[in-house]
Amino acid sequence: MADQGDTRGEHRRRRLADGAACYLAGVVTVIALGLAIVATGAFDVSASAPHIRVVGWALRTTMVNSVKARAEPLPLEAPLDPAQVRAGFRIYDRECAPCHGGPGVPRDRWVSGLIPTPPYLIDASRRWTPGELFWIVRHGVKMTAMPAWCVQRSDAELKSVTAFLVALPALTPEAYARLRAAEAAPPAAEAPPPSSC
Amino acid sequence: MPKLSSRLQVPGLGFLAGAVALVSCAPASQAQRQADASVERGRRLVGQFACGSCHQIPGVLGADGTVGPPLRGLARRSAIAGLLDNTPENLTSFIRLPQSVVKGGVMPDMGLTEAEAADAAAYLLSRS
Repeated sequence: MADQGDTRGEHRRRRLADGAACYLAGVVTVIALGLAIVATGAFDVSASAPHIRVVGWALRTTMVNSVKARAEPLPLEAPLDPAQVRAGFRIYDRECAPCHGGPGVPRDRWVSGLIPTPPYLIDASRRWTPGELFWIVRHGVKMTAMPAWCVQRSDAELKSVTAFLVALPALTPEAYARLRAAEAAPPAAEAPPPSSC
Repeated sequence: MPKLSSRLQVPGLGFLAGAVALVSCAPASQAQRQADASVERGRRLVGQFACGSCHQIPGVLGADGTVGPPLRGLARRSAIAGLLDNTPENLTSFIRLPQSVVKGGVMPDMGLTEAEAADAAAYLLSRS
C-alpha cells in the first residue's frame, strides 16, 4: 500500500515538473518572439499602410478602455452655457477642426495620412461622456497625433472645448458657418495660463 | 483496351478543360483583377478618410458613426442621399463632391480625387 502511495506521489511531482517546464518554455518563446520583432524590424511602422486587423483592434480597444478607466465625471448639464460653448467653438475651429473637421467642414487632406486617423467628432459626445472627452483633450493619446492640450490651454478652456463637443451633434452646418462668421474678428482677451498637468 | 482508352481520356479531358478555362476566364480575370484592386484601394481610402466616424460600415474597424446613414447593403439601395439613382458613377460623384448634391449638408467635400472616389465607391458597393 505504502509502495503504491509513493509511486503516485512521484507521478504527481513529475506531472507538476512537466507542466512548469511547459509554461516556462511558453513564456521564453513569447519573450523571444517579442524581442525578435523589436530587433529585426519585422514590424512595419509606415503610416502609408493600415495596421493588420488584429493590431488595429488591440490598439483601439486599449485606448478606449484606458480612457474609460481614467476619466472622472465632468458635470455638464443640459442647458449648456452659450458663452462657454462659443468660447469652446473659438478654440475648436482654430486648433481642432484642421484634424477633426466639423459639420460640412472637411479635415485637411494631409490628415488622411495619419494612422490612426483623427475622427470627425460630430457624434463624439454620443460615444464618450463629457468626463472622457475632457480627459482625452487634456491628456492626449500616446502613439496617435492627439497632443496633451494641457500643455497649451487652461482647464477652463478645455472644459469650454468639451462643452462645444457636447453641443456639436445638434449644430447644423449653417449654424457652424454662422459661428465662424461671427467670430471672424480675433479675440482680444489674453489667454489664461495652461493647466500644466 | 479499357485501360488504354481511360489513359487517353484523362489528359484529353484535362486539355479540354484547360482550353475552356483559358478562353472563357483569361479576359474576365484581367477585369476581375482590376476590380479587386479598386476595391482594395477603396478599403484603404475609406479608413484613411475616416468615413467610419460618421457611418457604420461593415468590415471597417471602429466604423460605428451615427451621423450619416449606415452603409451596409449600399448596393441594394435605390437612391444615394435620397436624390440620385444608385449607380457607381453617381456614388463616385457624390463621394467626391457631396455638397454639390446636398448643399449645406453635414458631409463635407473631402478633397478626394475622381479616381479615389471611384475606388471608395467600388469598395462600398462590394460590401454585402
